[in-house]
Amino acid sequence: MDILSNLALGFSIALTPWTLMLAIIGCFIGTIVGALPGLGPSNGVALLIPITFSMGLDATAALVLLTSVYYGAMYGGRISSILLNIPGDEPAMMTTLDGYPMAKQGRAGDALVISGVASFVGALFATIMLALVAPILARVAYLFGPAEYFALYLLAFSTLGGIASKNQAKAALASAIGLGIAMIGIDNNNVTRFTGGNLHLNDGIDFLVAIVGLFAVSEVFVFIESHGRGSALGVKLDKVTVPWREIWSTRWTMLRSSILGFIAGVLPGAGASLGSFLTYMMEKSIGGSKAGFGTGVAKGIAAPEAGNNAAAGGALVPMLTLGVPGSGTTAVLLAVLMTLNITPGPTLFANRPEVVWGLIASLLIANFVLLFMNVPLVKIFVKVLTVPPALLLPGVMMVSFVGIYSLTGSYYDMLLMIAFGVMGWIFRKLDIPTVPIILGILLGNAMENSLRQAMTLSAGDASFLFSSGISIGLWVAAVTGFVAPLFLRRIIKKPTLPEMEVPDHAKPID
Amino acid sequence: MNLSNGKGDRIFGVVVVLVAVAYGVAALQFKQGFIVDPVGPKTFPLIVAGVSVVCGLMLIVKPDPDPEFPPLRTVGTLLMAMLTLVAYAYAIKPLGFLIPTAIAAAILSYQIDPRAKFAVAAGLGLSGGLYVLFKFVLGLGLLGVPKGWF
Amino acid sequence: MTNKLRALLTGAAIFVGGSASAAECIAPANPGGGWDFTCRQIGKIMYDIGEVDQPIQVTNMAGGGGGVAFTTVVNERNDDSDLIVAASQATATRLAQDAYGGATADQVRFVGAIGADPGVIVVAADSPYQNLTDLLDAMKADPGSVAFAGGSAAGGFDHLKVLQLAKAYGVEDVRSIRYIGVDGGADAITQTIGGFTQGMTGDMSEIVGFLESGDVRAIAVLADERVPGFDIPTAKEQGVDVVAVNWRGLYVPKGVSDETFNDWAAKLQAVADSEEWQQAMADNGLAPFTVVGDDFQAFIDKNIADVQALSREIGIIQ
Repeated sequence: MDILSNLALGFSIALTPWTLMLAIIGCFIGTIVGALPGLGPSNGVALLIPITFSMGLDATAALVLLTSVYYGAMYGGRISSILLNIPGDEPAMMTTLDGYPMAKQGRAGDALVISGVASFVGALFATIMLALVAPILARVAYLFGPAEYFALYLLAFSTLGGIASKNQAKAALASAIGLGIAMIGIDNNNVTRFTGGNLHLNDGIDFLVAIVGLFAVSEVFVFIESHGRGSALGVKLDKVTVPWREIWSTRWTMLRSSILGFIAGVLPGAGASLGSFLTYMMEKSIGGSKAGFGTGVAKGIAAPEAGNNAAAGGALVPMLTLGVPGSGTTAVLLAVLMTLNITPGPTLFANRPEVVWGLIASLLIANFVLLFMNVPLVKIFVKVLTVPPALLLPGVMMVSFVGIYSLTGSYYDMLLMIAFGVMGWIFRKLDIPTVPIILGILLGNAMENSLRQAMTLSAGDASFLFSSGISIGLWVAAVTGFVAPLFLRRIIKKPTLPEMEVPDHAKPID
Repeated sequence: MNLSNGKGDRIFGVVVVLVAVAYGVAALQFKQGFIVDPVGPKTFPLIVAGVSVVCGLMLIVKPDPDPEFPPLRTVGTLLMAMLTLVAYAYAIKPLGFLIPTAIAAAILSYQIDPRAKFAVAAGLGLSGGLYVLFKFVLGLGLLGVPKGWF
Repeated sequence: MTNKLRALLTGAAIFVGGSASAAECIAPANPGGGWDFTCRQIGKIMYDIGEVDQPIQVTNMAGGGGGVAFTTVVNERNDDSDLIVAASQATATRLAQDAYGGATADQVRFVGAIGADPGVIVVAADSPYQNLTDLLDAMKADPGSVAFAGGSAAGGFDHLKVLQLAKAYGVEDVRSIRYIGVDGGADAITQTIGGFTQGMTGDMSEIVGFLESGDVRAIAVLADERVPGFDIPTAKEQGVDVVAVNWRGLYVPKGVSDETFNDWAAKLQAVADSEEWQQAMADNGLAPFTVVGDDFQAFIDKNIADVQALSREIGIIQ
């Protein structure tokens, strides 16, 4: 078979003791970088670029190292989400919703193992799909114009109402705040908005600043206020075992989430964060209110982790076949490929099979390395919870500051981050969910631009928004997602959930 | 309507409405760019402002019960933490990483758990340990002490 | 004993202070873009060919489309002789359009450019427009009939290319030409192949892979001469006198000595002459374009005046 011989070619390039060692190092560094708040996968890959140069690595070795870091960071992001309620990077945001409540019940080990396996399933699925159908899938990007993207973003926001708050108005308000913040800066048509003449704001507010502020800084404030009571720190831990039964019960969740996440990753405008968000919301609506999403259930961890790792693999499809990076990290990987004299594009698969298949083989290797690394390492990660909060929280804070400082090298973003921290603390007091704010900041500009571009292309004719099958389908899904819960709530008498102590931004909707 | 409970949401609702109106007014000032753009720079911010006003009003009309607000002393502690962080943000560039980090980490540590010796040790340990992590494991361009000290 | 102690102290000094003599290159954007490429590639080659004795450290300073880095250099590091900053035509365009909050080009010294990415106009393979004049004729008849996608925001370099062409061809109302700014050149091509826009405006390096695959046709390259190896006519050949190249180069702080300035210029020249840079240019679709030292400053001055005049005429700036 063609694919098998290609894969054999790939492994013959990628599977040497030397590259295997690089993969292990890369996975390890990636996991650390992913777990540190403020340092995301794109930082991790960017940090390693000079190292690959100074070590004089050839193209294959460099790719193995960097993709290991990429996948490693995607795995690592979940760790701080689960243990500290602080997402290590933005796609891991959704994992806090069920991961942290689970950790508070003393089941941090279970949460890490389940999420690790889900990450593996998602990433493996995406890698296999990448090998099988990437060149064909690349064509999907040609079907998505501004009108289709606008409908896709609308779908994300229409399902937001049910995300986390008991109060619908608060969830809607949170996403409006996020969208409002996203408008800050110079828009795509050279109009400066809401900057107050400050040059630092011309590019808008980096979502990393917002996420680190809203989650990490506000968490420290909460700790200072409560002296650590009611957190997962110091909770008596169960013995770390592999919860086979629970993992098996999430098999369909993992599979569905892998598929949806992969599709989200393939679309350059969507990416891993949207992937994990949509998979969580999908599983939540399939599970219904009885499934207890938001209280620490296995499916609530498996869905976003399978989704964001599958999306991370999916994002490689447009990057390799079109040269269109679907995310910040793939943009860095793209730059690395260019400096290695590999130009991604529609001809890459045909012209440079050794690069493509070497990459796919190294992704598979990285994935297995990460699975084997993560499950035994869970015991070490869980130990983090026994670190005294008076050491751990200041540490998290300092890491966040350095991460943000390394973005721009100025105090400005750090001040913004503190402001977001204060805002996050107040919002948590008032039970306003923070996840929709991040989503608004992440997608706001893209959403507005796609609407404005669609209207520019159609010269103001609004029917253009519904002119393709894809956009009509997405609109129907969006309207259903918005309206259906309103009706369902009346029809189904909800069972009263047991009163549980859950974090402020992770409360179930009903 | 019980006015004493739900004060937090009501005050917040009023703030939201005021900010959203200001936001909308600011959006009205934007000038149309020089090229074809039927939607323009105002529309989207105005929609956002409109949604926010509606949500703010809903909070005023139907607030949730109040959360437990911290006593004034705790608010003071939090303010102190915030000021520490602000000072840290300004200090890290001119004074390098090591010294401000040790001080800021020690203060935060003391605020979470008031044990002075532990806090000092945590500050020093974090400052040194993180420096090694960032500088040598991750290779970030970080200045340990101000330029020209050595 | 004292020697040992001194060695230890020196070691500690390097440990905490960072190595003193390593030069720094600021890429005024996040990793992955053209400026980042410039810093990393030029920095690597300078070290490889022995022009600097320590690897050049790359710092990313994103913000304000390069404005944050620019003002930081002007205000805080005006006499730092160990500092170089990546620049391109986008830097000059933004300075010309006063997009850096009042900062002006004479607040730094432009060292030189060592390579340029020629502008291109691209249509989908099945497009009815066979050459540049077909396209411009359609725009002349109805400026709203052709929509373009490009990697820069409105008023940016990619957009200006279209406006320059239209003006040179005598299109009356250039403001009614439709343009959407998307995330980079590859995205712009995707929109064009998908049929959402009729034309794509971008740089040569962005389209090489797509030309090979046969999904798009390049109908004009905006350079003085054809790019070797590509069968694309220049705009000049087709009777439209427009040249727009995206040069890649460096600037240094204003306050450095002439000696330092000339030193960096010589190092840049050495990179330009190196085998490695020739290879890097070929791999990335850059055309040779070496202007170094005082000649480059003259080039920048004229370039900024030109962009300013055009932007004012079109209404991008008052």
